[in-house]
Amino acid sequence: MTLLSRRKFSAGLVAGLVAMPGVLRAQAKPRLVVIGGGPGGATVAKYVAKDSQGAIDVTLIEPLEKFTTCFHSNLVLGGLRSLESTTHAYKLDAYGVKQVRQVAAAIDRDKKQVRLADGSLVAYDRLVVSPGIDIKFESVPGYSEAVSEIMPHAWKPGPQMQLLKKQLDALQDGATIVMLAPPNPYRCPPGPYERASCMAHVLKAKGHTRSKIVIIDPKDRFSKMAVFQEGWQKHYPGMIEWMDPKMHGGVKSIDAKAMTVTTDFETIKADLVNVIPAQMAGKIARDAGLTNQTGYCPIDAANMRSAIDPNIYVLGDASIAGAMPKSAFAANSQAKVVAMAVRGELAGSRTFPARYANTCWSVIQTDDTIKVGGRYEPKEGAIAEVEGFVSKPGEDAGVRMQTTEENMGWYAGIVADIFA
Amino acid sequence: MTGGRELSRVALGAAIMLCGVAPLCAGDRELGEYLSSECVTCHQISGRYDGIPPIVGWPETDFVQALGEYRDKSRDNAVMRSIAVKFTDEEIAALASYFGSIGPHAEKSQR
Repeated sequence: MTLLSRRKFSAGLVAGLVAMPGVLRAQAKPRLVVIGGGPGGATVAKYVAKDSQGAIDVTLIEPLEKFTTCFHSNLVLGGLRSLESTTHAYKLDAYGVKQVRQVAAAIDRDKKQVRLADGSLVAYDRLVVSPGIDIKFESVPGYSEAVSEIMPHAWKPGPQMQLLKKQLDALQDGATIVMLAPPNPYRCPPGPYERASCMAHVLKAKGHTRSKIVIIDPKDRFSKMAVFQEGWQKHYPGMIEWMDPKMHGGVKSIDAKAMTVTTDFETIKADLVNVIPAQMAGKIARDAGLTNQTGYCPIDAANMRSAIDPNIYVLGDASIAGAMPKSAFAANSQAKVVAMAVRGELAGSRTFPARYANTCWSVIQTDDTIKVGGRYEPKEGAIAEVEGFVSKPGEDAGVRMQTTEENMGWYAGIVADIFA
Repeated sequence: MTGGRELSRVALGAAIMLCGVAPLCAGDRELGEYLSSECVTCHQISGRYDGIPPIVGWPETDFVQALGEYRDKSRDNAVMRSIAVKFTDEEIAALASYFGSIGPHAEKSQR
């Protein structure tokens, strides 16, 4: 090697070394992995990627290409909006989010790795677990995943909801619908009662005023109860019957062949049975040991960090979020606190005290929407409500119409915030 | 343009008077950006209207006034009253500054 060429070589080497730190930096970028592309997980992935501007490597593990929202699925059931309008493609790659279209099979907390369905591994520095809920089929005597093909729960988006809609649309006048409402805590507290309203809307629109909906509830009260019951009386007189535990004594069995529900007091023959069982955190969270005896995941109220593993955050329906309900709004709100906390930990950015919020709108009838919500803060180790509100009985039609517009506006806003 | 600048100067003055800590009030974009994430669940950052009013590109004084009215419950909307109730003057000023700084079509440039 001549001196010249050696010099050239050295220059090349120097150039290479100059270039290398960038490569090394890229490889050493802190890694955030998010399991679950619902309102919780997708929002965390988007906000961390957007606000860290490339300083944090963000991977979202979500098998679906398009996500159908659970929120507003009752409006689809009621024929108030289309299934397509509640289905959204992920556009998060624009912010630098890498989406891995696979199911997360397991979490190795010691090695800080997620194993995918195909066996490959994804390493993380911080992990966000946002798997939503699983159905506790065995909580209703006689119910199972197989029976849910006849008596749908429809408490997750997709085929179950389509099955329920198909069954509802096929009913004749005089039909009996039985809904088994779930015990607390469950996804979307006003959901069963909004669903009953939307089903009654379909029946009424077809002139099926002899049909009825019987709600068998393990609870003696429910979300927005006074305004729901007032609305049922006003829009669907005699069509919706709500039974608290004193009126039925508990569900003893269900029979999918006979299409009957037997309570402590009677056997009801039905044309459609919607069984909404008890729920628990999604499987991956349970398998990873992130749940406690409640079946949900305990968290630090200040930032949604798992109380079990400091490298993991759990949010949304799978978490124990104190006074916050299990709702998409709540998950989206928690996600912003998590995103801020993760950026603080991995990129040293500023952090601020957590602010949480929620509002749940519910449709009783086309122009009659009600709402409940509040603001929440960490207090003595739990997320506590600091301000709350709920629609009142006797509100005029103008207020309910405005709340209807607000509901539609919120939907457009939150899906843009989550997916676009 | 001068009018707009004039307005924001007035807003800046108002914000400083409101909270007395000038740098935090008018310039704390990071705080405003974090707080804004709560707003954009409903109010679209693109400025699009689908039933909930857009809040980007407002004169800061208007923004401070509106949130102040929700906070003292003189303006009617249960959701907004509940959102605003715990806001400090500094936080309102930070939000006004943040949302005032982005126009209705700023979404793309943020990506």
